[in-house]
Amino acid sequence: MSSPADAILLESVADWCLRYTPLVAYDAPDGLLLDISGCAHLYGGERELVADLSGRLENAGFGYSIAVAGTIGAAWAAAHYDKPASHACGEERATLESLPLSALRLQTATVAGLARVGLKHIGDIIDLPRAPLTARFRSDVLRQLDRALGHEHEPLTPRLPVAPYVAEQRFAEPIAREEDVLAITRRLARRLQFALERRGDGARRIELTLFRTDGVVRRIAAGTSRPLRDPDDIRELFVERLAALADAFDPGFGFDMARLSVVVAEPCPPEQIGIGGSEDASELCRLVDRLSARLRPRRVRRLIAQDSHIPELAEAVLPAQAVNGDAGWAGFRQYREETKLPPRPLRLLARPEPIEAVAEVPDGPPLRFRWRRALHEVIAAEGPERIEGAWWSEHGGPARDYFRVEDKSGLRFWLFRSGLYRDLAQDAGAPTWFLHGTFA
Amino acid sequence: MDEQLRQCLLTLQKTPGMMGHPGLLPLGIPAVDKVLGGGLMRGALHEIAAPGEIHLPAAAGFALGLAVSVPSPRLFWITEDMGLTESGAPHGAGIDAFGFAPERLVTVSTAHRRDLLWAMEEALRCRAVGAVIGEMRAGEIGTVAVRRLSLAAAESGTLALLLRTTPPRDASTAATRWIVGTASSILGREQSEREIRSRFTAHLVRNRHGPAGSWILEWSDIDERLILATHAQPVAAPTFNRSPRQVA
Repeated sequence: MSSPADAILLESVADWCLRYTPLVAYDAPDGLLLDISGCAHLYGGERELVADLSGRLENAGFGYSIAVAGTIGAAWAAAHYDKPASHACGEERATLESLPLSALRLQTATVAGLARVGLKHIGDIIDLPRAPLTARFRSDVLRQLDRALGHEHEPLTPRLPVAPYVAEQRFAEPIAREEDVLAITRRLARRLQFALERRGDGARRIELTLFRTDGVVRRIAAGTSRPLRDPDDIRELFVERLAALADAFDPGFGFDMARLSVVVAEPCPPEQIGIGGSEDASELCRLVDRLSARLRPRRVRRLIAQDSHIPELAEAVLPAQAVNGDAGWAGFRQYREETKLPPRPLRLLARPEPIEAVAEVPDGPPLRFRWRRALHEVIAAEGPERIEGAWWSEHGGPARDYFRVEDKSGLRFWLFRSGLYRDLAQDAGAPTWFLHGTFA
Repeated sequence: MDEQLRQCLLTLQKTPGMMGHPGLLPLGIPAVDKVLGGGLMRGALHEIAAPGEIHLPAAAGFALGLAVSVPSPRLFWITEDMGLTESGAPHGAGIDAFGFAPERLVTVSTAHRRDLLWAMEEALRCRAVGAVIGEMRAGEIGTVAVRRLSLAAAESGTLALLLRTTPPRDASTAATRWIVGTASSILGREQSEREIRSRFTAHLVRNRHGPAGSWILEWSDIDERLILATHAQPVAAPTFNRSPRQVA
């Protein structure tokens, strides 16, 4: 196991193992660690869970070795050195005693050193005095032993963040139709609603995990613009997500398990019903959520005023779901009043486009310019409005002189000359002109 | 007799969802309002086309000028990705100059025409939205799509504005169709009062409830609405982007 393809395969198996527990961790290079505390009873016990797991792995054609134990160390040792599908809960010590020392996940040099003094099995070192052992072989031998025996805690790092709220449902018959998936989503959301209400939380990000019978796992996530609890609203989000996925959804032979998890939760004030203003606001949130679910959040945006005098930095465009309340425009209006800010264009180009311009006097407005291969004769110009570059930064760029010009056919543009003649070095060429925006 | 029939038709045409809504949005320009029968109809689709792509900012400014008069408007401006790169993105500071608070604006960009129409329809159905501007580049739009948008607008009483970069040749079921280009704010003015302002030639080419008309309009910063431009030169017929004539 070393190629990237193997890593991808292991990842998909890890995804698939999410059906047993949300706590799945990689054990490089070829193993997975599952924390099934509190999950085994869903399958009727640990042995039944292992039977289910091995049955599915066998059907998929994998060679495997499974061990269940009270500690990560004991389970790893049993899985790698004991018989396949071993069960060592509560008898970790007895299981470990007969296994070789390399089962403790020690470095090969350490194992070889221990072997030189005749210590070959874990049983040989369990009851040895600790001080001399540590003095000779460093502390990690005993630490690994303690971890395997459960005297010391060993943390497990799950590969996916663990959701604070989870509801799941297994089906006797696989489901494949979109309506069924949505109905089950609503039912799971209803279950989550009680848990969310009890803690006073609402969901900001929800993930629907669908387990296909052939082992493929679909994870579909949707964000919300305000803490959400209502099952119908949650269902609506997934209607749009499924519509956006279209053919990529591909239920194959059907899903035999579904899990709805609230990945990000936020405190949510108790529902208010029937007050005009808030009802409108929630309608709007619902619309923004639906659009974001179908088109992806980065396509549904709001404009936020930024504290900068450089035109392209004066405004940030952020996903509407991420923005709450005031967007900073009150501050901008005050700034405009105070500084008598010259007009700004209705549309701003993503980046200023270079133009060929001819000016009458070096620092004056252009007489004519060529933009996108069309020649525009300037008949009126307002300006310049000088905007300094970010002089405090190395990459701030030169000062710009902005002009608002009107051409013969009545089109209005926002142009600037990058760099001033007085700042020009002797050998440099003329300053360059750019078109930055258009006025109505 | 004529008047009676007209009244009868009006009641028949009234869409069911519109009962409680103020149906008309007066622009405050008597000449235009008279032709529109009192004002721009809310809960209906209006097409605004630029005579060419370069006139799009003017058409967008005109659309914004119409949307401003919607009371408490939450505006959705829905564009295509390509349109954003070609004509630039709506700029908050410039929108603010049109008397429209940018915090009320939500911009949506879509990858396909299909998504654009879907997003418009969704936004139109929402009661919290005052106006929706859908901006599409050259290309036809089916009558079914226009009808769907009109119905969605009628249901909620939202003002629907369809912005197009080229004048469409298809017949449309929209309530009005405008061709709006830019007009020079300099020509025909005294040297002393030369000042660049937002000025449009607005041709109302189709109107389901009245005659057509042509005006030169101007955005007034003082009144924060569209006004009839003074010192306006006579309005010429709209210039269409005609495709080269087929030679037999």
